[in-house]
Amino acid sequence: MIKLTNIDKHFPNVQALNNVSIEIHEKEIVCLIGPSGSGKSTLLRCINGLEIPDQGKVFVNDKEIDYHNENEMQELRKTLGFVFQGFNLFPHKTVIDNITMGPIAILHQNTDQANANAMSLLARIGLVEKANEYPSKLSGGQKQRVAIARALAMNPKIMLFDEPTSALDPEMVKEVLMVMKELAKDGMTMVIVTHEIGFAREVSNKVIFMDEGSIIESGTPDEVLGNPKNERTKAFLSKVLY
Amino acid sequence: MTIFEKIFTLTNITYLLRCAEVSLILATSSIVLGTIIGTLTAAAKIGKNRVLKLIANAYIEFIRGTPMLLQLFIFFFGLPQLIPNYANLSFSTQVFVAGIVGMSINSGAYSAELIRSGIESIDIGQWEAGKSLGMSYFKIMKLIILPQAFKRIIPPLVSEFIVLIKDSSLVSSIGATELLKGAQVIGSHYYNYMIPLFMAALIYLAMTLTVSTLAKKIEKRMKIYD
Repeated sequence: MIKLTNIDKHFPNVQALNNVSIEIHEKEIVCLIGPSGSGKSTLLRCINGLEIPDQGKVFVNDKEIDYHNENEMQELRKTLGFVFQGFNLFPHKTVIDNITMGPIAILHQNTDQANANAMSLLARIGLVEKANEYPSKLSGGQKQRVAIARALAMNPKIMLFDEPTSALDPEMVKEVLMVMKELAKDGMTMVIVTHEIGFAREVSNKVIFMDEGSIIESGTPDEVLGNPKNERTKAFLSKVLY
Repeated sequence: MTIFEKIFTLTNITYLLRCAEVSLILATSSIVLGTIIGTLTAAAKIGKNRVLKLIANAYIEFIRGTPMLLQLFIFFFGLPQLIPNYANLSFSTQVFVAGIVGMSINSGAYSAELIRSGIESIDIGQWEAGKSLGMSYFKIMKLIILPQAFKRIIPPLVSEFIVLIKDSSLVSSIGATELLKGAQVIGSHYYNYMIPLFMAALIYLAMTLTVSTLAKKIEKRMKIYD
């Protein structure tokens, strides 16, 4: 479905990604793990063009993406849901308007249709009663669930999660992970940057361990998490509680 | 009959209020046009086009670095040379148009900086959220950034409006009969300037206080989503 080949990305003074290649197949759930600054978020952001790689190619359904063609990028992004660590809900819109903004403005759905769709998404994440609240009235976990619903409202082919639980209070992590597990069960293709190793082990079919801008090890959760071969993977996992 | 009783008559008060209306029309038209000019200028400053950026910067620096009174004179004497048949308009229309154009262009430069800083104060995550939904730059600007930015811009924009109400008095020097000029007319009629000037001052104060009170109410109403 999506293939990234030989991606390089530099930031001032840092090489964030160094010759990274990955491929994501339909219905696959890929977890990117690794220490902070290892490049996993940058890699995720390269997929939907929030970062533009310095070098390398990205193919979606075997078609190469031209990062400098704004129209093509917009078309691509419509098919990719993105969930941010910091939620990035629109504070001036109510929960339901957050969810319907994309479908109405981009997919040209009519308001009734978009609202009905949003309500059924809210039912799925268990927040129907918050439809007319502003985001400032929600807890972190609720905000992130709404952010997931907002992305889902666009009917994406792939959902990208950038540390979706890292900004949450511990007691709110579970409710967000539950929603993601439901999605996984429904067969959504997902790429998840996460520090929740237990979650990665439970839901993913592929785990990629990154360090210093490179992929160190990848494979099934059992291979990478249960029986890591690389010393750096072992060292990382030994420091992480799960 | 004291001089105060002679001047403080219904006729004179009505006359001053008529003049105040001119001041208010000048200020209101200028804040509206100035905000539009300011938004476009801010967009040019934030955008990537270097030529537009250069023009925007030159405009802002020129306006902010020269006196508004001088700018009004430039438009008063310049417009007839720029626009054919402008001189055929009545004198009061010429003054009025020059006043509004001058004040709007002046206000646009100040508003541009307010609007730019308002836009830039919106978290980058809001841009990214809009982008990741597949929105274009203009849709993100229109649906996500500007509504939030304008909420932050309203208080300084109200201050700008109050400045314009007061600075509309400068238009008297190119011949407009607005509030300050009105007070001078009454003053010269009775050979007493202090009383009409204070009357004008009170009317200015009433206008500016009303605006700032209204602004506080609007701000409060917009606080619902904080």
